[in-house]
Amino acid sequence: MTAALQYLFDALSLGSLYALGALGIALIFGVMRLVNFAHGDVMTFAIFVLIAPTTEAVAPLWVGAWSTPLLVLTVLVAGAALSIVSEWLVFRHLRHATPATTMMASFALGFVLQNTLLVLHSSRPKAVNLWPTLSAPMNLWGARVPGLQLLMIGITMALLIGLAWMLKRSRVGLEMRVAAENFDMARMLGVKANRVILMAFGLSGTLAALIGLLMVSQTGLVDIRMGGPMMLVAFVSTVIGGLGSLGGAVLGGFLIGAVSTALQAWLPLDARAFRDAFVYLAVILLLLWRPDGLFVTSAVRQRV
Amino acid sequence: MNPFFQRHRLGTPLVLCLALLLMTLLSFTGSAGLQRTVTEILIRVVMVVGLFIFVGHSGVMSFGHMAFVGIGAYGVAWTTMEPSMKLLMLPGLHTLLQQADLPWVFATVLGALLAAFVALLAGSVILRLSGIAASIATFSLLAIFNVIYSNWDTVTGGASSIVGIPTPVEDWQALAFAVLAIVLAHLHSISRYGLGLRSVREEPVAAQSCGINAWRQLLVAFVLSAFVCGLGGGLDAQFLGVVNPDAYYLSRTFTCLTMLVIGGSASLSGAVTGVIVLSVLIELLVRFEAGVTLGAMTIHLPTGSQEIVVGVVMVLMLIRRPAGLMRGRDWSWPMRSTPAKANLKARTPN
Amino acid sequence: MLSPRLFRTAVVLTTFLTGAVASSVALAQAGKDLVIGFANAKSGWVEAYDTPARRAAMVRIDEINAAGGLMGRHLKVVETDTKSDRAQSAKAGLDALDQGAELLVVSCDYDFGSPAALQAQKKGKLSFFLCAEDIKAGIQGVGKNSFSASVLAAVQGATMAEWAVAKRNVKQAYVLLDSTIEYDKGICTGFDWMAELQKGLTIVGRDTFKNGDASIAAQISRIKALPKEPDAIMLCSYIPGAASAVRQLRAAGINSLILNGSAVDGSYWLDSVPGLSNFVVPVQGSIYGDDPNPKVEEFNKTFAAKFGARPSSTYAYPGYVLIDVWAKAVERAKSTDADKVTAELEKMRNEPTIFGPRTFTKEIHHQNQARMLISEIKAGKPAIVDQWTITKAVPLDVLLKK
Repeated sequence: MTAALQYLFDALSLGSLYALGALGIALIFGVMRLVNFAHGDVMTFAIFVLIAPTTEAVAPLWVGAWSTPLLVLTVLVAGAALSIVSEWLVFRHLRHATPATTMMASFALGFVLQNTLLVLHSSRPKAVNLWPTLSAPMNLWGARVPGLQLLMIGITMALLIGLAWMLKRSRVGLEMRVAAENFDMARMLGVKANRVILMAFGLSGTLAALIGLLMVSQTGLVDIRMGGPMMLVAFVSTVIGGLGSLGGAVLGGFLIGAVSTALQAWLPLDARAFRDAFVYLAVILLLLWRPDGLFVTSAVRQRV
Repeated sequence: MNPFFQRHRLGTPLVLCLALLLMTLLSFTGSAGLQRTVTEILIRVVMVVGLFIFVGHSGVMSFGHMAFVGIGAYGVAWTTMEPSMKLLMLPGLHTLLQQADLPWVFATVLGALLAAFVALLAGSVILRLSGIAASIATFSLLAIFNVIYSNWDTVTGGASSIVGIPTPVEDWQALAFAVLAIVLAHLHSISRYGLGLRSVREEPVAAQSCGINAWRQLLVAFVLSAFVCGLGGGLDAQFLGVVNPDAYYLSRTFTCLTMLVIGGSASLSGAVTGVIVLSVLIELLVRFEAGVTLGAMTIHLPTGSQEIVVGVVMVLMLIRRPAGLMRGRDWSWPMRSTPAKANLKARTPN
Repeated sequence: MLSPRLFRTAVVLTTFLTGAVASSVALAQAGKDLVIGFANAKSGWVEAYDTPARRAAMVRIDEINAAGGLMGRHLKVVETDTKSDRAQSAKAGLDALDQGAELLVVSCDYDFGSPAALQAQKKGKLSFFLCAEDIKAGIQGVGKNSFSASVLAAVQGATMAEWAVAKRNVKQAYVLLDSTIEYDKGICTGFDWMAELQKGLTIVGRDTFKNGDASIAAQISRIKALPKEPDAIMLCSYIPGAASAVRQLRAAGINSLILNGSAVDGSYWLDSVPGLSNFVVPVQGSIYGDDPNPKVEEFNKTFAAKFGARPSSTYAYPGYVLIDVWAKAVERAKSTDADKVTAELEKMRNEPTIFGPRTFTKEIHHQNQARMLISEIKAGKPAIVDQWTITKAVPLDVLLKK
């Protein structure tokens, strides 16, 4: 029983990280029909404000030395600002381009961001000790769970509910969806469409920065390539959950986290190094079963 | 003009092949380093043309084709390395492969056939999907290939590089294969398979009503594109002499896809032009970064700026020409206006 | 008015011609100078790993030049950039060789160094890997004139196993392998081989993870599920994954002795796990100022004076050793001919260097046995506590079977 509970918490903690990443990607896709490959690099860029730019092995803390509320606020604002700038400079001009073009443009943008960080900071990972007390384990019904994981799970669920409500019920969310559906019509109806899309990007950037903070707290390091592996999985989660559906993205993230943890726990030692191959095989099988994802939204449904 | 020439639109492959020939001849006026660069460009042309065969005609963004490049590269490593070296480094190889020491052209084609075979198996399963689900499925293929080849230590050498592959490939060999790739792509393009696939891309329902089986058209393109990509992989291995699973993973996937999209993914000329333009740009920037002496001055870009400038230029190119440099059209011969082969209509994403 | 199409073609051709002109290479200046080529990463992600060792090599080159040069000839350095790209690495190697390099020093990382080293081998020149710890960075992979300046990964793992049993009375060990790169697998192979030879040491469990894994919760649960906490955990990994893993292990309350490979040496990452204790790393020399050989501290100070900061990890040292042994071999061979220098290098048995003795043989152009200093971290402070040389050299079969 305890083992099963432990496994459940392990799966949930891994899944929540993926789910948070997937939320940011799903938000942009649901609003803009854009797959943003630069999302991971926006996260990394926002996190690097914690340390001063230097190519030395040890980097002095910059924002990282500030008080917690100020630190969190600054990092989140940095993420939002970067995302907004990227919309204004790049994605705005690609509103009428094909998905392939916007995908490649977002990838090129991510490439620029990563290499800028490389020049500023060098590729060596830098240590940042953020909120170490959060990693202390708590004992929940016999299972050992670091406080940080509980926080992550909590934040994911809260954000999911909050964002879903915002998109469906609030005026801002309505305006976002309308601006994405038919830009010109929305403007004719009095929606400040450009501003609203900027807000959507800002929100996505904030989400990216948030995951970054949690990741730094968990691993204790910042590294220019930390965004990559997690964002890949987040991207895959978004698709298997159903593009455009926030709940689906979160579910997809948790699902991949669960499968990955299960395989790590149950595969024989020789096969364990191949864990990711099995995860991706499962993804293919899931897609074959549900090609449009688990939750099909009207954004994706084909109409003759 | 000759009706055969016109009916088969031979103008396009002719112009492209001549351009590549010109580039190769020009390279001999420079150093050995320049010739290596041109060989790299030609090998990249093979890979991107292979990518185009599937992505261009189907409109599905495939992230998995580097898996086929990698399968071709490793296939060549298995069949051309010295048997004693293989015994030492890849002890898990089957005796047949371990003893094999094939002539390089044969080995390259064999590696490509292996890639095509894997594509046939994988494609028949995942090509039932469409749109972004298919793209994710192709990415899953790439991830699976990477994990398997990085961890099957006794057969693939694991995450570490396999060194010691004989290197007969230089400019002329690469040029020959680039021409072959272009010819294959062109033949597919004007055949009923290419036409069928393009019709599925444009209007899937109407195509179905004309009796075109989407899955079959996709599969044919997928297998052919895997074959050509496998050729590219074999060339790459026999040029560098070194293979490594990470060389055929994300960074090369995105480089090739970007070259394709920037050139214009809807036409063969787009694929080739994209490779040449971007490769020349990168090479120029690398030289400027190393320092170029013009007269009495040395121009020197700050280290690390080459990648940033390339990225920025890519973004700008995509903003200015969202449909690609060629906008879905082809170079043709003679130079009088020919009807556009496939106009890529810019669509509002829906 | 040029049609757009012709214009485009013209642009492409012109850029090519410019490139062709700009690529005219300055040919070798033979004569007084002895050229050493460095085909390393000056940009891209490999740069952070090549630079320290390259700088250390420069320190030795300066010392030799100040003492009158090698065989009376001044040592000239030619540097080309591999840009952390394999194809570019081959070209960088070619470029350096075209400029007359007698010795080609290639990247630390075997994957990025081998294309350049292969070019050197083709031209019959000696190549030296700055700090590759893969057996293939030598005869077995590149060719008969290729060497590596560092200590094999397997030796690091084997040293940990023998030392932990002899000095820390470890009876039960757990192996945690980061299966991302070959270096990690090398450490664990060495550990496993030595562990089998130790009486009284049992490996109570094994697991794998990937360097990029954000969470190793499942792996930790498996360790926690053992009846008794293992005396030691052999962590075969590198930064950043290793730091993240240690942070999570300690946070979960696992206080076993953690054994490592040299890759985690350095205090620059210790902020990730504040107050770390019971953590051991094998190194070639001490960057902390407490090396038993005072010449090492002299070197650290020279390095700091020249480059603004002390070496950040033990991986700077192989660069110094490289130039040191090569120069000695050249003097003995009285020539820079690759085969003659190779023969002299292969004669070296326990050749003294300030970082420990070095041995090269006809079979192995690497160190499969070496004196390692044992660095232990107590309460976040690293210090050298011991030194150890494995009693048996790691055999070639073990190194190749991995």
